[in-house]
Amino acid sequence: MTTSEDKPLWLPPMSLVVIVVIIGAISLSPFAFIPFNLTGQALLLFIVLRLFCYWPPMVRWVTSMPVFHRTMLALLVGSMILGHYTLNSRAYYPYVSWFIFSTVREDDPVTCREFIATTASGQKVRLLVEQLFPSIVQIYPLDDPTQYSPAQLDELAHAMATAYNQHHADDPVHRVDLVVMAVKLHPPAAESRAQPSCQLLNRYDISSAR
Amino acid sequence: MPVAQPLRHLIGPLELLHEQAGPRLLRLTRLGIFALWIFKLALDPLWRLAGLPRDLFQPIGILALLPTGTLDNLLTPTGLTTLWLVALTVLAVGLTNKAFLLTSTLAAILLTAYSCLVRGFGPAVHTDTVLLLAVYVLAGFAWADFFQSKLSKQKTSPAMWSSYPLVTIVAILCLSYCLVGYNRFIRGGLPVFTGDTMEVWAIDASLRAYYFNTDIGWHIPEWPLVVFMLKAGLPFITLFEMTAPLCLVSSHYRWIFIPLMFSFHLLSLVVMNIFFFDDMLLYLLLIDWSRKYPAMRSAGS
Repeated sequence: MTTSEDKPLWLPPMSLVVIVVIIGAISLSPFAFIPFNLTGQALLLFIVLRLFCYWPPMVRWVTSMPVFHRTMLALLVGSMILGHYTLNSRAYYPYVSWFIFSTVREDDPVTCREFIATTASGQKVRLLVEQLFPSIVQIYPLDDPTQYSPAQLDELAHAMATAYNQHHADDPVHRVDLVVMAVKLHPPAAESRAQPSCQLLNRYDISSAR
Repeated sequence: MPVAQPLRHLIGPLELLHEQAGPRLLRLTRLGIFALWIFKLALDPLWRLAGLPRDLFQPIGILALLPTGTLDNLLTPTGLTTLWLVALTVLAVGLTNKAFLLTSTLAAILLTAYSCLVRGFGPAVHTDTVLLLAVYVLAGFAWADFFQSKLSKQKTSPAMWSSYPLVTIVAILCLSYCLVGYNRFIRGGLPVFTGDTMEVWAIDASLRAYYFNTDIGWHIPEWPLVVFMLKAGLPFITLFEMTAPLCLVSSHYRWIFIPLMFSFHLLSLVVMNIFFFDDMLLYLLLIDWSRKYPAMRSAGS
């Protein structure tokens, strides 16, 4: 924290100009070795942090802190920022890389794989991992071949059918279909939109002994 | 300057949120955060995870440090029920504020293990991550209070100590929005805001149908007005995410931020089946209770 009276030369606006030049050199020049994804975000964050350093109530609050509290503040906020720049959400959880809707998607139609079960009475039921196992916030998309081998999809279908049957013993699942659903972004006007189009990919017989 | 006065009214007072917070507000915050975790855990049949294929589980965070045998034991109905019960008990003791240093630390460890466990079958999504970090803040500052009062020779007044964890929790909440906004703005660039990206994400999330399943979002291509709202809303929301740290500074900004982001989260639930209810409840900390109610202020204010 620095007051305007003892402001050293390297502080803004000079320091910001220098940082922008450095970022240009390391991220945008022909010799770029750190992606602009990282340095651009770092610059924005740096500006916010610096602005707080010049805001008297924040300066007063931080300088009022005893040493252990100040260290704790730096640890907690610093870990969160470092976690973001690791670009790894798994290794250092809960210090994750924060992103939502940050990549461009133009796929048309939008497709999604899911399990549709047929019960003993012939009823069709959608089997969702997040509903049968509510602890799970989200699973990997079923169409991700890096996450699921055919054998694992088979195991998952059986696990979901078993979980469903535990709560529906009167009308258990006999068969599970892996289907791909598709929704067109720009459908022809005459096309029915009552349900997404659905195509069978695989069928798992649950009634057979395993 | 004639413009200065109306502009000053528009910007409003610039005061650090919770700067005057006292022990009573901190106590209520501890109670609220622990109660929210108890509520979440009480509704969660964690033991059911044992029914999923073991080879789909990819340990994350601290769980990746455990030996395979220990993980195998944890992923049994007995192991999962034990973790669930111990976590609930520790959280319940934490509500009493007795031995908070110990209970909050144990709670932080157990909730980290729990959060890593439920993410082991999928991506490490952000849901309730800020709520977990809030427990870290409560535990961390309880340790700082302890060391400062026991070990330090420096004489300091504990009058402002209650404000430290409260301001830090809000800072972390704002930082989470801020980093999401920066990432989208810098990494995604202009095409995220100009193309069909938001429409595709909404349909995709709706088709996947997580725990909440409104079954609405995939109809979006039929509704040009909703498509327009999604496309026009994204830059607007991103701007508020990027400027979220202003919540620490300006009450006028907070009164725009809270309803706007609240509506955004509700819309995400309706259209995309994604619900950040933990963050929405943490918005209660975006209200400067200690300035409104003297009982919530520290003795020194």
